[in-house]
Amino acid sequence: MHHRPAVEIKGLHYAYPDGTVALRGVDLLVEEGEAVGIVGPNGAGKSTLLLHLNGILAGRGEVRIFGLPVEKANLREIRRRVGLVFQDPDDQLFSPTVFDDVAFGPLNMGLSREEVAEAVSCALELVGLEGLEKRSAYHLSYGQKKRAAIATVLSMNPDLLVLDEPSSNLDPRARREFSELLQRTRITKILVTHDLPFVFENCERVVVMDGGRIVADGDVFSILSNEELLKKHGLELPYGFYPMHREMDGHRVEEDRG
Amino acid sequence: MKHAFLDEYSGLRSPIHQLDPRAKLVGFAALIVVCVTTPPNLYAAFAVYLGLELALLWLSRLPLRHVARRMLIVLPFILVVAAFLPFFSRGGGSYNLGPVRVSGHGLLVLWNVAAKSTVSVLAVILLSSTTPFPDLLRGMERLRVPRLLVALLSFTYRYIFVLVDEMQRMRRARDSRAWRGKWLWQSKVVGHMVAALFLRSYERGERVYAAMLARGYGGGMHTLYLYEPGIMEVGFASLVMLVPLAARIIL
Ligand SMILES: Nc1ncnc2c1ncn2[C@@H]1O[C@H](COP(=O)(O)OP(=O)(O)O)[C@@H](O)[C@H]1O
Ligand SMILES: [Mg+2]
Repeated sequence: MHHRPAVEIKGLHYAYPDGTVALRGVDLLVEEGEAVGIVGPNGAGKSTLLLHLNGILAGRGEVRIFGLPVEKANLREIRRRVGLVFQDPDDQLFSPTVFDDVAFGPLNMGLSREEVAEAVSCALELVGLEGLEKRSAYHLSYGQKKRAAIATVLSMNPDLLVLDEPSSNLDPRARREFSELLQRTRITKILVTHDLPFVFENCERVVVMDGGRIVADGDVFSILSNEELLKKHGLELPYGFYPMHREMDGHRVEEDRG
Repeated sequence: MKHAFLDEYSGLRSPIHQLDPRAKLVGFAALIVVCVTTPPNLYAAFAVYLGLELALLWLSRLPLRHVARRMLIVLPFILVVAAFLPFFSRGGGSYNLGPVRVSGHGLLVLWNVAAKSTVSVLAVILLSSTTPFPDLLRGMERLRVPRLLVALLSFTYRYIFVLVDEMQRMRRARDSRAWRGKWLWQSKVVGHMVAALFLRSYERGERVYAAMLARGYGGGMHTLYLYEPGIMEVGFASLVMLVPLAARIIL
C-alpha cells in the first residue's frame, strides 16, 4: 500500500449563502488506497464536506487532492481524478440515454470518439449494465440507476471514488450487489452513510461527524463497537448486529475471546 | 410508474428509421414550411403532400393504429376550433345548408386549417416515431439549433415524467389525508402543491448542475454523433424537399 495522501483537509470552515454554518473546522487526512466511511446524523455536514473535495463548494481552509490544492487552475485535473457520486441517481443521470450519461465525463475530458466508446463500455461492464446503453435512465430500476450513477464516474477512470449515501433506498439484493461492486473497485474510496453495517463491509476506517466537526476517527471495529460514542452522535447499529474483528485482507474472523 | 414513450416505435428498423436524423429534420421541416405557405385553393398540391407522407409511412412500417392514435390526440383540438368558422365568418359568398347559412370564405378557412394541420401533424409524427428522441436532439445540435434550446429539450425529455411522478405522489399524500374541502381552500392547497413542486424542481436543477460540474462540465455540451450522412440521406432530403416545392410551383 502507498502512503501518499489522497486527501488533505486543514481547518475547513464553510457557511452556506443563507448563513447556515455547515463546517466548523474540519481536519482530515486520507491516504491512497484507503476506504474511509464518514458517518454522522442528518445535518452533520457530511454532504457539504464532499462537495469541497472537487471544488463545487469552496470554504475557508485548505483542501488538497493528491497534493494539488483545490483552486480554479487545478479544477479540471481534480474533477477528473475525483469521481463524486451524488445521493439521488436522478440528479446524476441527467442525459437522455444511459450512454450519454456515462459518456458525459469522458467527452468533457476531451477524449476521442473511440476512447469514449471504450470507456463507456468498460464502465458499464464493471457495473453490470451492458446492453442498456440506449435506455433512458427513467426506465431503469432504482438499483440499476445507482449502478449507472457509479458508471458515470468510473468511465473517467478516477483515482478517488466519493459516494454520498450509496446504500440508501436499495433493497437487500441491490444493496449486496452494490457492496460487491465497491469491493471490486480497488481505488481510494470515501463513503458517506448512516448505514453502519454497510460501512463495516466496505471500510477499514470510520470518521464520525457531528455539528460540522469530526468528533471521532479510528478503525472500523473500534468505532462501531463504541456504543456510547455512536449513541452520543445519533447513530445506532441495527438490533442484533455485532461488529467483529477483521483481518487486513478484508476477511472477517471471529473476535478473539481468549 | 410507467409512462408512454414520447418516441414509441422509434426503435423499429426501416429505411426511414435508419436515416441520419438531420436529413429527416431538414426534410420534414421543409415539407411543413412549404405546406403552411401554400395558398389553400391549390388542392392538388395538398394531395401531393399527403401522398408523399403516406408513401413514407408505408416505407417506415409504422403500425397504422399508432399513427392514427397520435393523430387523434392532436387534431380534434385544432378542428373543433376551426369547425365554427364557416358559421361565423362572412364573405366569399354563402351557401344554405338546410336552416343554417355558411360562408364560402369560412369554408375555405376550415379547409385551410384542416389540410395544413393534418399534413404538419403527420410530418411530426413520422419524424418522432422513426427517430429516437436522443438522436433527434443530437441531430438538432449538429444543425446548429441553439445549444440552450437543445439542452432544454433534453432535460425536459429526461425529467418530465420524474416531475409527473412527483406530482402524483404529492396528490396521493394529500388524498390519503382525506382532503376534500371547498374550492376556496382547494385552490390554496393546489397552490401550495405547485409551489412545492416548483421548489423541488429548482433544487433538483441545482443538484443536477453540481453533478455536471463534478464531471468536468465547462459550458459546452459534447455528445457523440454516430450517424454518417450518405446517398440515402441526400436522396431522402431532396425528395421530401423538392417534391412538395415542385408541386407547389407547378400545380
Ligand atoms: N443549499 C443549502 N443551503 C443552506 N443550508 C444548507 C444547504 N445544504 C445544506 N445546508 C445545511 O447545512 C448543514 C449541513 O448539511 P449537509 O452537509 O447536507 O449534512 P449531511 O449530509 O450530514 O446530512 C445542515 O444544517 C443543512 O441544513
Ligand atoms: Mg447528506
